[in-house]
Amino acid sequence: MRFDSETQHAPRSGLILLQVMVFGLFCLFTLRFWYLQVHKGEQFAQQALDNQMRQVLIDSARGRVWDRSGRPVAVSEPSFALGLVREDCDNVEATLAKVAEWTGADPAALMETYKRGKKRVKPFEPLTLVTDLSFEALARIEANDIFWPGLEIVVRQKRHYPEGTLMSHILGYVAEANEEELEKNHALSLGDSVGKQGLELTKEDWLRGAKGKKQVEVDALGRQHNEHVLVDPKAGNNIALSIDLDLQRLAAKLLEGQAGGIVVLEPDTGKLIALVSQPGYDNNLFVLGVPQDKWSELRDNPMHPIQNRTTQGLYPPGSVFKLLVAAAGLSEGFINYNDTVVCTGSYQLGNRDFHCWKKGGHGSVDLRRALVQSCDVYFYKLGERMGMDRIHAYAKSSGFGLPTGVDLPHEKAGLIPSREWKKKRFGEAWTRGETLNASIGQGFVLVSPLQVARYVGALLNGGKLIKPSLVLDEPPEIQGVLPLSSEHRNFLVETMVDTVEGGTARRLLRPDARIGGKTGTAQVIKLINADQRRKAADMPYKYRDHAWLASFGEKNGKRYVVIVLVEHGGHGGEVGAPIAKALFEYLLGPAPGKAVAQPEPVINQLEAGD
Amino acid sequence: MSPIDRRLIVSVNWPLLLLAAAVFAVGVLNLYSASGFRMGEEVSLQSFFNKQIIWGGCGLFAMLLVVLVDYKHLGNVAWPLFFVTLLLLILVLVAGRSVSGAKRWLEIGNFNFQPSELAKFAVLILGAKLLAKRSEKLGWFELFSVVGLGMIPALLVVVEPDLGTGLNILLLLGGLILYRGISGPVFKTLLVAVPVLLPCGWFVLKPYQKQRILTLLDPEKDPLGSGYHIIQSRIAIGSGQMWGKGFLEGTQSQLRYLPEKHTDFALAVFAEEWGFVGCIALLVLFCFFLLQIYATARTAKDRFGSYLAAGVFFYFFWQILINMGMVLGIMPVVGIPLPFISYGGSATIVNFCLVGIVVNVSMRRFVFKKT
Repeated sequence: MRFDSETQHAPRSGLILLQVMVFGLFCLFTLRFWYLQVHKGEQFAQQALDNQMRQVLIDSARGRVWDRSGRPVAVSEPSFALGLVREDCDNVEATLAKVAEWTGADPAALMETYKRGKKRVKPFEPLTLVTDLSFEALARIEANDIFWPGLEIVVRQKRHYPEGTLMSHILGYVAEANEEELEKNHALSLGDSVGKQGLELTKEDWLRGAKGKKQVEVDALGRQHNEHVLVDPKAGNNIALSIDLDLQRLAAKLLEGQAGGIVVLEPDTGKLIALVSQPGYDNNLFVLGVPQDKWSELRDNPMHPIQNRTTQGLYPPGSVFKLLVAAAGLSEGFINYNDTVVCTGSYQLGNRDFHCWKKGGHGSVDLRRALVQSCDVYFYKLGERMGMDRIHAYAKSSGFGLPTGVDLPHEKAGLIPSREWKKKRFGEAWTRGETLNASIGQGFVLVSPLQVARYVGALLNGGKLIKPSLVLDEPPEIQGVLPLSSEHRNFLVETMVDTVEGGTARRLLRPDARIGGKTGTAQVIKLINADQRRKAADMPYKYRDHAWLASFGEKNGKRYVVIVLVEHGGHGGEVGAPIAKALFEYLLGPAPGKAVAQPEPVINQLEAGD
Repeated sequence: MSPIDRRLIVSVNWPLLLLAAAVFAVGVLNLYSASGFRMGEEVSLQSFFNKQIIWGGCGLFAMLLVVLVDYKHLGNVAWPLFFVTLLLLILVLVAGRSVSGAKRWLEIGNFNFQPSELAKFAVLILGAKLLAKRSEKLGWFELFSVVGLGMIPALLVVVEPDLGTGLNILLLLGGLILYRGISGPVFKTLLVAVPVLLPCGWFVLKPYQKQRILTLLDPEKDPLGSGYHIIQSRIAIGSGQMWGKGFLEGTQSQLRYLPEKHTDFALAVFAEEWGFVGCIALLVLFCFFLLQIYATARTAKDRFGSYLAAGVFFYFFWQILINMGMVLGIMPVVGIPLPFISYGGSATIVNFCLVGIVVNVSMRRFVFKKT
């Protein structure tokens, strides 16, 4: 019975159809499941992982910078930036327009930033649109950003320089990395600050630290769930400067209103205690991008405030160079201490007269007197005998014509001319007259104040050329040794002391300390005759002489080199000496008694000459 | 005599009921996972899971009602039910509640009712009734009259618009026609005509429907737009690999990458957490479920019963085929749920009622053969 009913009512073909369909269904999906889950499973598993995990960078704090007693000169402060996570933003244009409305930023510039960032920032990372939000803008955005998906407030570090202008030539500044820097260093991301000048640039790697990485689990709506740190951010290293902020401030004040540079250095360690260039600029201006008008103002300022005159300013050294030419003459055996020269006020070479600064001449001078009185004729004759190539080689081995290697960018090498150099540069033969000019630090010779400081330091420290250093705990780096015997070195140091005691640097004299000095007055233009040199104050500013003073002070085992350069300042003894004197008062303590150190109001010709 | 005697209970297709319950249990379990999403560390639950259990209860109750009445009476109400359905379908187009651009619901007090669900029954019963009248293969006239009748409610559903349900109704009817068989010449003609006419259907489709088909062919073209569902679904399924990530451990669904994960894409959640092994197990359950319906269709005491069961077979078969095909990325995205696995109140009730019809047919296969 039952058997009949089974076949009677259901269509045979229909039943077969149903069985085939079930079989087909099973085969089809078994194959498909196999393909997706087993054959391609691993690939999809990776994709699922990528889906949920985002790697986010953690900013590292940039190292701080202190002066030698721990006062902060460069710090990082939190600042708020506005970022846009592209993946979560559904209407970029409207969002940017809103951001422009909130922050007052230019919509076109925002669009530009956005387009620039698109190439670099991953779609799920915040693309920095506006840095350093004001508190009003921050409040406005925080109240509204839930309506604008993708907007995110990012806390970033902002550099601040508490001393501003005072330290700007040393520290330089950081600013937003430009296209080129981003290209060069892939650790940087858009909106990151990077050192652009000064120590911030040269010590970039030391200060920056390394970004950390965290993995964030994110859902499809961009909400973050778990996060765990993969790589801890490594904070940048700090720097303690050898600079003494009080001295730096004093030096800056002494140079205020003038153009010039001051270097104060410990000769035995090469540590710079003050490094001042005037005029200066406020480096805080640059951190957030200097406005175009401010920038042109700084760039086009005829006083070149951005230039660091101690490392980038090149000047003829004038009589200060005689310390080098004398050393060359002594160690190459061209002169003895006792050899004398008769100075008649001028030296004739061919049909041309080379004048001594003292019209009447110094009479018979030995080397000591020639240095103390700064007799030009003595050095004309010495130079003539040595020849330029010898002077050139000697100067080079004493560290001139080469950068000092200080940790500041774009340092200039200066120029010690040679016959070869002139041939190459001008295609002309060197003349003997040019050797005479170079012998008294004029003509083509150009040095920077820092080079002079290193040289004078070497005279004091036993002949070691030490790299001038700004970092307190850096061990001294000896770059070379002066080709000069200790006897000759001591002789030169003694003549510097004599120059203070009875020569052109008498203003520095104080009874409680050993002070040495050498003044220099570097001509800016060729003078028709020696008379004109005396009337600096009457000349137009830019034709006035540069005033040099190279000095050292020693008391209770402490030694300092002080170099002062005042551009177009006139006479080195008149302008440089009072500044150095004030600095020694700080370095060695106030001088006891007033009478000795008090300079006379009018200096007689002998004393004032260089 | 009680309305249901011992004989009836013995004849019930128990394996079918068991399988339906098993698949529904899997569905509820999976919904528990699909409803949980991570907020920080905690797992919070949405109400879908609880609701589905309630719907399941309602479904079982509705099934019981369907089982109690002899299915032969269904044949008697076939025409009235059909006309009432047409009326309601027209009414919903005029006075229906609009939800995201689609008019599918009739509001009766607090109760929302979808006439398209009723249309499934109407077409199933009327189709079975008409086709069961004779046993020889269909000729032109019968084919057109049956298809023509079925087209009316199907088109009314499609214009709501609810392409999925409309398609479901037509496919069910088409299945029934194939079940009975088409006469040789008609079959041969259709074999040529359908492939020729099918591309014309392209021009009837709405732009978003065309987009779905294009997206299927190349989902990577618009990964965050129309291709999103397909890509994310494939990632979810594929990342389950052989053994799955474990219950509640699916990252794609827990982190909300998976769209429509409790309704149309529920299978993807399941596949991610249970892997290839779980998927094949579920597929086997579905196949046995279909084979049990087949068994009832084979052993029914009359043609009407056999056709009713076959109609239910096709109803479930097409849904399983289309939904799985869609989730697995081999068919365009059409809003057709996976029976018992996808969340849905009316769908659950309808599914249990259809199982009830099959049970009804199975339990009464010997009624007139008393000795």
